[in-house]
Amino acid sequence: MTVLLELRNGTKTYRGVPAVKDVTFTLEEGEVHALLGENGAGKSTLTKMLAGVVQPSAGEILLDGKTVDLPTPSDALRRGIAMVYQETSLVPSLTVAQNIYLTDDKHFHRLRGIYIAGQQFLQSLNFHVDPTALVSSLGAGQKQMVEIARAVHHNARVIIFDEPTATLTPEEKHQFFSLVERLRKRGVSIIFISHALEEALQISDRLTVMRDGEHVITDRTANFDREKIVRAMVGRTLSDELYGAHAERKVRRAGEKVLSVQNLSMNNIVRNTSFSIFAGQITGMFGLIGSGRTEAAKVIAGVMKRDFFHGGQVRLFGRPVRYRVPRPAVRDGIIYVTEDRKLEGFFETMSIAENIHLGALAGGQTKSWTVSIREMKAIAQHWSEALSVRALDNDTRVIELSGGNQQKVVVAKALVQKPRLVIFDEPTRGVDVGAIAEIHQLINRLADDGVAVLVISSYLPEILQISDRILVCRQGRIVEEFEGRKADEHTIMYAAVH
Amino acid sequence: MQGLGRLSQEQIVFGLALLLCAGFAVMLPGFLTTNNLLNLVRSVSILGILGVAMGLVVIGRGIDLSLVALMAISVAWTLQLVANGMSLPQAVALGLAFSLAVGMINGILIAYVEIPAIFATLAMGIAIYGFGRYFLFTLDVIYMPESAQALQWIGQGSLLGIPAPILAFIAVCAAATLFLRWTTYGRYLRAVGDNLPAARITGIPARPIIVLQYMISSLIGFAAGLVTAGSIASMNTRVANSTMVYDIILVVVLGGIGLSGGRGNVRNVVVGTLLIGVLLNGMTIMNIEYTLQNVIKGVILLTAIVIDTILNPRDEQTAQQGDI
Repeated sequence: MTVLLELRNGTKTYRGVPAVKDVTFTLEEGEVHALLGENGAGKSTLTKMLAGVVQPSAGEILLDGKTVDLPTPSDALRRGIAMVYQETSLVPSLTVAQNIYLTDDKHFHRLRGIYIAGQQFLQSLNFHVDPTALVSSLGAGQKQMVEIARAVHHNARVIIFDEPTATLTPEEKHQFFSLVERLRKRGVSIIFISHALEEALQISDRLTVMRDGEHVITDRTANFDREKIVRAMVGRTLSDELYGAHAERKVRRAGEKVLSVQNLSMNNIVRNTSFSIFAGQITGMFGLIGSGRTEAAKVIAGVMKRDFFHGGQVRLFGRPVRYRVPRPAVRDGIIYVTEDRKLEGFFETMSIAENIHLGALAGGQTKSWTVSIREMKAIAQHWSEALSVRALDNDTRVIELSGGNQQKVVVAKALVQKPRLVIFDEPTRGVDVGAIAEIHQLINRLADDGVAVLVISSYLPEILQISDRILVCRQGRIVEEFEGRKADEHTIMYAAVH
Repeated sequence: MQGLGRLSQEQIVFGLALLLCAGFAVMLPGFLTTNNLLNLVRSVSILGILGVAMGLVVIGRGIDLSLVALMAISVAWTLQLVANGMSLPQAVALGLAFSLAVGMINGILIAYVEIPAIFATLAMGIAIYGFGRYFLFTLDVIYMPESAQALQWIGQGSLLGIPAPILAFIAVCAAATLFLRWTTYGRYLRAVGDNLPAARITGIPARPIIVLQYMISSLIGFAAGLVTAGSIASMNTRVANSTMVYDIILVVVLGGIGLSGGRGNVRNVVVGTLLIGVLLNGMTIMNIEYTLQNVIKGVILLTAIVIDTILNPRDEQTAQQGDI
């Protein structure tokens, strides 16, 4: 087999933080190459470099053995490298054929011509999609077919799929696999990013595992089994330094049952799931992206609404609750700390003091309808000291702080509301190393003070380090529960992947 | 550029107003007299009051295009009721209640039905004008009846030599400033305008606050209507179809209240109003045609926005979200 495409010693850093470190990756002609790894392992960044979406900070890309420069995705496409995204990049208000031939028209748009050509072309691929249908009317599987057809139309020799099966039904998945088979027969080489180990084992010729931005192993798929892949995915080097040995810490006993969730359902994202959370202990919830963990948390906190029929039951201290908006949940002591602080965490035009004070106002800690500046300053002073927010003073605008300090302000805004149950959704995402340790300390202190804490994370070392009890979420459901230190990375990851 | 970079749009506009003032003072002999200056502020005080109403809504990341129509119809109805023999306080109370009810419907449509503010209030403005003209009175100009003469003071009276409309403008500005800075609801309003999802998650009653903001704008609009009726002894409902609502938005945007919400203060409205006042007054003294005045107003607005964009470039995030 000859090597078609190669990334040689490729590195990509975002603002000094490496996402991919010195990785060499080769794609052979006519192979299906699966790319596996945890969230944040660098899979997407690697493929984006190959597709011209991002530029390598160091290293080179070789096509047919010659160095190529791919400044934009259309340059990559012109050389036959196409990428099919998880969220489709089609124009929903245009028809299938219009999408396939979108960039072909020079000046005028010939509808009749492209419908006839589209019909023949889709038939030649054996795709059952109507070229005159609007893309917005198609299902996920059909949209993917259109994306693939577009790639083939551009004479793609390499097609990169980013989590192609995540949004498909089992039937559509089956179709997708036979389609990959057909593409392979046409001589197209395929890179396939996935969380689904079985699929990777089933359809790939070779397999690469990445971890923490580094290349771990590449080998023929026949030499792998599930165990070996999981071990390659979680075996840690770098992260051990940061999180240390987690076995040393004592496990907290469960206190009073604060929250019990029974058969919770929402929109097929959360599917009939049940679990409980106890006071005075940290419950970790692990799941890959799309496993419904954030949505379950948002339903509990009233940010999202559960299904009206058969939506299940949520009990707070034994009392059934159903929140339509977050405000009553906040007043009952359930606080959700968001995973996306910029989008729904802090108020960017306001200072640290104003942000924290708003939490106190909304949480009902100050009863008066007038604002006392002195009180605001005192509250802000107390909390920014307790959380060691590093800023010039509390009048600094939150938007000017570093990620870690922004997160501390968001947490302070939540804690000022005297919570009885705090849900931290990815509490250390985009936070620097020093602040991670501080935020973890803070979460531990909360649990020691008897608050019920739920920590959602897709980063295994974080979950293992901080949790007294671990719930594993998969496809909208809690599938496994581990007590204390009985879990290790392999068993958790094994439960979380499907 | 470094030093200039710290200037906000508010400061630029204020500087521009001072510059124009200086220019007019040198060029136009009658400009820098106490009388003319009082006249100047007085002539824009109604615009300023409405600007405060619009400013509060815009800080809450909304817009109220029904403001002028609602003002015209509710005050015209009040005058009509007095003319029909109702006592003045009773008529004012009814007009105010009508105004607040419409503001509340606006707020409910926007907060609960989740219609974009620009469409909800545009449609409401048209509906209210039609409703008033068809059901409440028949003429398009309602004159102030004898029994409502008490209202004339707030349009034509004065206290310590300061005309009443200016006092009304100052009072509204003071009340709005106190509301924004010193009350819990003012803080909530700004939070909702800054980041609605974050406000929700924090436990702020976001939807009631949105309803409140449109009720406040109706309330201030009604006050502006009374001042208008007082100063010209009538209410011309055709003002609802004029470009007045755009002038109000001009004042708000010119002063530097961002349409993206959360930013700005009553101060900004005052500054915007002053610039427009100086400009209009100077141009009127110079006897510039009305149509040409519009051209100059438009150019000034564009200039202020261009300077602001150059000095304070928007980051990627705001550029993506857009301004409304």
